[in-house]
Parts: sequence; C-alpha cells; structure tokens
Amino acid sequence: MSKGKNNIIDDIYTPNSIDKLIHEPARLNIMTRLYVVESADFLFMMRQTGLTFGNLSAHMSKLEEAGYIDIIKEFVGKKPHTMLKLTEKGRRAFDDYRKKMKQFFNEL
Amino acid sequence: MIEKIDLKKVEKQTYRFTFSDGLYDMAYGCLLIFIAIAPILREILYPSYIIFLILPAPLILILGKIYITIPRVGIVKFNLNRTKSKNKIRLLIAILFPITVVMVVLTTIGIYNIKVGGYIVPVGAGLFALIFLSFIAYIIDYPHFYLYAISIGLGIPLAELLNPIFGVPLDYIISFGISGTIILIYGIITLIKFIKKYPTPKEEISSVKG
Repeated sequence: MSKGKNNIIDDIYTPNSIDKLIHEPARLNIMTRLYVVESADFLFMMRQTGLTFGNLSAHMSKLEEAGYIDIIKEFVGKKPHTMLKLTEKGRRAFDDYRKKMKQFFNEL
Repeated sequence: MIEKIDLKKVEKQTYRFTFSDGLYDMAYGCLLIFIAIAPILREILYPSYIIFLILPAPLILILGKIYITIPRVGIVKFNLNRTKSKNKIRLLIAILFPITVVMVVLTTIGIYNIKVGGYIVPVGAGLFALIFLSFIAYIIDYPHFYLYAISIGLGIPLAELLNPIFGVPLDYIISFGISGTIILIYGIITLIKFIKKYPTPKEEISSVKG
C-alpha cells in the first residue's frame, strides 16, 4: 500500500476509531437522554430508554466505570434518591462521538 | 444513525414527556369549573369562596406530581435555560395568577363597581388573560396553554354577552363550565392512560446502586 493511500485512509474516520462504549445502541440511547438534561433518576431513565432494570443497571455501571456518568446520592424528603448525570468527560466523549460519526457518514 | 439524532428534538420530547400525566389539564379544567360555579359559591360561601378558585389547581398539580407522577416516571432536572424559564414563570404565576382570578371574578360579578360601560371591562380582562396565558405557553413551551388562553380569553366576554340572555349563574356555567369540563375530562383520561402505561415499579429503584 502506498504512502498516499495510507494518508487517505488515515483521514477517514473508520468505525474502529469511534468510541465503542457509546456506540452500543442502548448506551447511545442513555448518553443521548442524559446529554439533553441536567440530571435524571434511574426510574426516569428506565421510562425514557425502555430498558429493563437489570439492563439499564449494567449499562450504567459500564458508563460509570468509564467516567462518563456521575451517580449522585441525594435525599428527596426522607428517602435516599439516586440521580444520574453526564460528566464533563462524558459530554466531551459524546460530542466527539457525534462529530466522528457525522464525518464518517459524510465521507462515505 | 447518529446524524439522525436531533438533540433539540430529543430534549423537547423529554421535556414534553413531563406533561404527559394530564395533571395540567386537570388543574386548569378544575379552575375553569370553579370559575363557572363562582357565582353560586359566592352566594353560599362568601367571602371564603375565593379559596376554591385559588387552591384546587395548585393542589392538583403538587399532590399529583408527588403521589402519582414521580413514583411512576421518576425525576428529571432540565438544563439551566429550561430551569430559568420555569422559575420566571413560577414567579409570574405566583404573583399574577391569584390577582387575575380574583380581579376577573370580582369585576365580572360586579363587586368592583368600575365606571366603565359596555363590554370594555370583560373584553379587557379577556384580552389580558389571553395574552398572559399565551405568554406562559410560549415560555414553558407547552401548547395546551394556548388552548387555556383561548378558553378563558373568550370565556370572560362571552359570559358578559350571555348574561342578558341567560342571567347568573347560567352565563358563567355556559362560558366556563363547558370548556372546563371538556379540559378536565381530557385530563382525567390522559391521567388514566398515563397510570396504565406507567405502573408503579415493583423494584426499589429510588436508591439503586449504579
């Protein structure tokens, strides 16, 4: 493969260069929902994404491990309540993901 | 796939979802019904009948959100722009809503003996209510409020127009009661659908570990 061809390929964002953690449909749904709000609780995210308790919990754990979401414990009245929020890192990762995907589709 | 994700649309859908419980319709329908029967209530409960005009709508909203909506669909906090708009509206409503209701009712019933003849007062009051509620509809981005604006904006001059024909209290019942009942029934149906669609979850997820 010539150097010129390599440059062209490097310029194109292939699916390999995108964030696979976000690319998974359920997590993309979660990230999108959280991106447009300040924060939401677990139940709200369940209703919005249509995911089951177990599924959402598993995806949330992965996103939390990656530092994309913050899990905030607070009290509503006397009850403990868990709010979910996209971190700055998560917002940047989502912006980057959108940019790369747009670029990828534009260059197809 | 991603280029089809319209974030503004998603945000708007998420925001509108918070109105899908029908509580706003129920609260407003209830308010209109109490305005419709205000002349009757005034006869029986003067002067405490004013409480029936001011209290039920906020009570339906607050209690409904606490005991019906939040346990079923959870809590969401919107970004700063939405929050600021909502706070402005809350302040505006807190100041103007009770004043408007009391002024409209007292003026049309005739307790305020304003020396302005004809339809100037009811048309003015109707116009004020129309503009005020349309302004709220625009800021909170909830189209049903335009319908509310029209129902009360037209209802006030209509009551005045019907007064010579039907007299009190039928003029009020026709002008506000019909639209109020329709809006209330719509709200109740929406709430029933909402409750069926979103039952209270069995899992204890309010304190879920992420």
